Amino acid sequence: MKKHIAVVALAAAVAVTLAGCAGSPGSSANAHVDLTFWHGYTEADGKVLDQIVKDFNASQSKVTITTQTKTWAVIDDTMLPALSAGKGPDIVAMTSDRLPVYAEKKALVDLGDFYAKDSSNTAALKEQAVAMETVQGTEYGVPSGFVPLSVIYNKKLFADAGISSFPTTWDEWVADAKKLTKDTNGDGTPEQYGLVLPDHQTVGNGIWPSLFAGNGGSITNAAGTKSTIDSAANEATLEYWSKAVRDDKISPTGVDGIAADKLFTAGKTAMEIGGPWMAGVAKASGIDYGIAAIPAGPKAQVASAIGISLGVTAQTDDQQRAAAEQFLSYFNEKSVATKWALGSGWPPLRTDVSAADVDANPTVATLTGLPGKTVPLLPGVVDSGDVLTAIDTATQKSLAGGDPAALLATAGSSIQSALR
Amino acid sequence: MTALARPVAAARSRTAARRPPSSRWIGFVAVLVVTAAVLLPVAIIVLTAFKPASEVNAYPPTLFPHTWTLDNFRAIFTQLPFARLILNSFAFAGGVTAFALAFDALAAYALARLDFRGSKVLLIVIIASLMIPFQATLIPIYQLVSDLGWVNTFAGLIAPRAADAFGIFFLRQFFVSLPRDLDNAARIDGASEWRIFRSIILPNAVPALLTLGIFTFVNNWNDLLWPLVFTTDQDMGTITSGLTLLTGPGGIIPQGVMMAGALIAVLPLAVMFLLVQRRFIESVASTGLK
Amino acid sequence: MTTQQLGRRRRYRPPTPLGGRTPLGGSFRRRATVVGFLAPAIVILGAFVLWPMLSALRLSFTDASGFGRPSFVGLANYVRVFSDPDVLRSIGNTALYAVLFTPVAIAVALVLALALNHPALPFRGFFRSALFLPFIVSLAVAAFAWSYLLDPQIGLLNHWLQVVGIRLGNVLQDPTLAMPTVVLVAVWKSFGFYMVIFLAGLQEIPTSLYEAAQLDGANGRQRFANVTFPMLSNTMAFVVIVALIAALQAFDQIYVLTGGGPYRSTETIVMQVYQSGFKDLDLGFASALAYVLLIATLLLSLVQFLFFGKRGEDTTS
Repeated sequence: MKKHIAVVALAAAVAVTLAGCAGSPGSSANAHVDLTFWHGYTEADGKVLDQIVKDFNASQSKVTITTQTKTWAVIDDTMLPALSAGKGPDIVAMTSDRLPVYAEKKALVDLGDFYAKDSSNTAALKEQAVAMETVQGTEYGVPSGFVPLSVIYNKKLFADAGISSFPTTWDEWVADAKKLTKDTNGDGTPEQYGLVLPDHQTVGNGIWPSLFAGNGGSITNAAGTKSTIDSAANEATLEYWSKAVRDDKISPTGVDGIAADKLFTAGKTAMEIGGPWMAGVAKASGIDYGIAAIPAGPKAQVASAIGISLGVTAQTDDQQRAAAEQFLSYFNEKSVATKWALGSGWPPLRTDVSAADVDANPTVATLTGLPGKTVPLLPGVVDSGDVLTAIDTATQKSLAGGDPAALLATAGSSIQSALR
Repeated sequence: MTALARPVAAARSRTAARRPPSSRWIGFVAVLVVTAAVLLPVAIIVLTAFKPASEVNAYPPTLFPHTWTLDNFRAIFTQLPFARLILNSFAFAGGVTAFALAFDALAAYALARLDFRGSKVLLIVIIASLMIPFQATLIPIYQLVSDLGWVNTFAGLIAPRAADAFGIFFLRQFFVSLPRDLDNAARIDGASEWRIFRSIILPNAVPALLTLGIFTFVNNWNDLLWPLVFTTDQDMGTITSGLTLLTGPGGIIPQGVMMAGALIAVLPLAVMFLLVQRRFIESVASTGLK
Repeated sequence: MTTQQLGRRRRYRPPTPLGGRTPLGGSFRRRATVVGFLAPAIVILGAFVLWPMLSALRLSFTDASGFGRPSFVGLANYVRVFSDPDVLRSIGNTALYAVLFTPVAIAVALVLALALNHPALPFRGFFRSALFLPFIVSLAVAAFAWSYLLDPQIGLLNHWLQVVGIRLGNVLQDPTLAMPTVVLVAVWKSFGFYMVIFLAGLQEIPTSLYEAAQLDGANGRQRFANVTFPMLSNTMAFVVIVALIAALQAFDQIYVLTGGGPYRSTETIVMQVYQSGFKDLDLGFASALAYVLLIATLLLSLVQFLFFGKRGEDTTS
């Protein structure tokens, strides 16, 4: 009986697998090419992108691209199974921190040759933006978004505290944050915070890299092969900010990026470091907001960047790939890039589009004109997840009262092993 | 039996009357308090659905809305093809439940009542299959269904769940505990196994079948990963996979709208359970030896 | 055959040569019947459960990523399972979670099932439905409700407790409180499931047994120990296994509530499986880890069966 059942089960399994014929639809010589494009632009920005795609489709007759909108998290979860069965997208937009992993596993196509061509329009793209698309010296994506973290602040709370201009250095920043922290009932816990500083899973994972860079420190070396987090500069940075949070209580502890957003929209904090979307959220919550650059640290004024990348998946055959590259070239054209910046609410990706060109969207203009340097986050690092967790552990424990030197040493060794 | 029943009933009512009412009151209050505590998060879900966006993350936080609004419900139907998603959820959960109940009951009967070589091994293999996390088998399953050409179809969505190890295990335990006298007598009379299954075992297993039916329906109704990964076409999704696409400005989830969607999603389940749990009370009298 | 046997067919109890199960008719008919009953489930499980499990096993010996051609790496993935400190930590976390969750969830479910089964309790239908509600709410939604309650700055529970002077703090980001909090939410979400299973089992118990015990002078506690608990042994064996499997595979609620933090103190094995499979695109390692979990769960269940399975009739006999 056991044998009988085993035979039935195996036969069923085998029959079922053989029954399916896995044949991917190949495209013949010069036939029409249809591509699918997954992206996570779910708001009004998605409509603009869909329109750009429609314009591309209308501008020529060989390629038709169909878009599908999902959230970034859903794309990340569903792309692997879909691609492994050949049912995934041909072009995909993803957050740039995910690009190196997919590139290393060869799920995305090498775009080095594409970048070498003049027709790709990639020469005018911002160098730092392209750095986020580069893995081991080769480009695997085209940037569709690249924006520095900035500070969004509550103008009304600033006015109430009598602060008329936004701080430009760390010391001014902390001083203003102290003025904006109010503990009216004296129970030791402020009802209103000056600046909410998340200590783990920060927005774009970029807050602490920005602060470290402001004091001349870094996480890794330029090539992304060695950990440099365990340095005197970083230790000083951690000390400085831990003191501000613990002693001056300018921020609650144990907060992550999403909780920080909630605090800001609830009006419980005067400042937070965030991305461009906070403008819309603040407006929807009725907050009179302003956007400013992250104040300069002792050594530099630096903000870490959030990036979104467009990649071509390994599912494509040569024809589909050529068609996809055709779209990417179109996307990089100046007129399209300007339209995209205005529609996405993020700064333009081309160096020849200035703040004046995009003043139709004030947020975009502000972000484009922000002072300071924008740096990519861990460009080309494949195992960025472990690196970021190591940073989070160090910062979270430090703000909870730990010893920065020891924490950075531990983080250093974790990061070094993650960098292989 | 009836000769004994009257004195027993009398004895029971005497005992009941002798039990002090205060201990019963304490029990009742205890259950009430526990239920209230358990319901608090549920209340939050229900009430948040009626809060305008400005109140959802406001400080100080409130349980009840200051302004009641139906905007979230309107939004859920405009932002998503919600009616279609509800239908899909019914089709998916309902289809899986129907097939699973049938196939699981058949297999459970074989494992519980029919003697054959390897039945123990088969049972262990079935239970063992519960012990591997879905995340590890998701991709092979997806590839298989894709090879069958069933991507984005109901067949592909339902087939992998049309029989499940949990249901077989559950029903098998239940069937095993039913007294054998019932079906042995029928077997001696020459009834076929199918006849016994249909006329004796199934009617006596109503509470278990209802229970398993509810579980299967609820678990598949609320399942996220499988419909999310499997349906790339937005119209084919279920409520749970559809809700993941809800976003407000900047990718921040509009909680009020999501709660409205969740409330609508919970209603059919709650109604279903309310109707079914009555059957539990009714079927007390029909189980066990008479 | 004697006249007695002919006359009293309904009371005939056959001898139990095969552990209580009766043999069927002819050998072919027997096989056909068994196959007939088993076939639909076996086909589905064979194709969609067993086959993918075997695929995963094959993958666990490779460096598969879901793309390109995987190559054989032997036992490298399994070695990594037992040497990677993050994985070892997640094993410890999972064990802690299981030890906290399983007894609490089962105890809560059993106590409430007994209460709901008590004939003296009014509004049983209402209570039954109310207590089942957490189970039918979807997880993401439940997570929102709980974070709304527990948020240290704008959470409802914190706000209410402050009025009485208790400061809850940041429970989900506190290294000592995070795991118990996550277990609490998990118990809240799943106890209704086990409670209903216990209810189905309780209502299986014939009232005649209680009546007999009562006639013998047994009080409530004795009735529970001598009638209820033994008669529930099948159900209990089932619930313990199912709860344990659920605990060892904990993922969703932890992912949503703490993301594995703080400092990976709530990160479980399945979270590692998800992370390595879907985020690191290391399918081979994810499969190996999943198999280690499967074998551990199997061993634990076998121990549980051997230890508890002796009591009562027919657990796997």
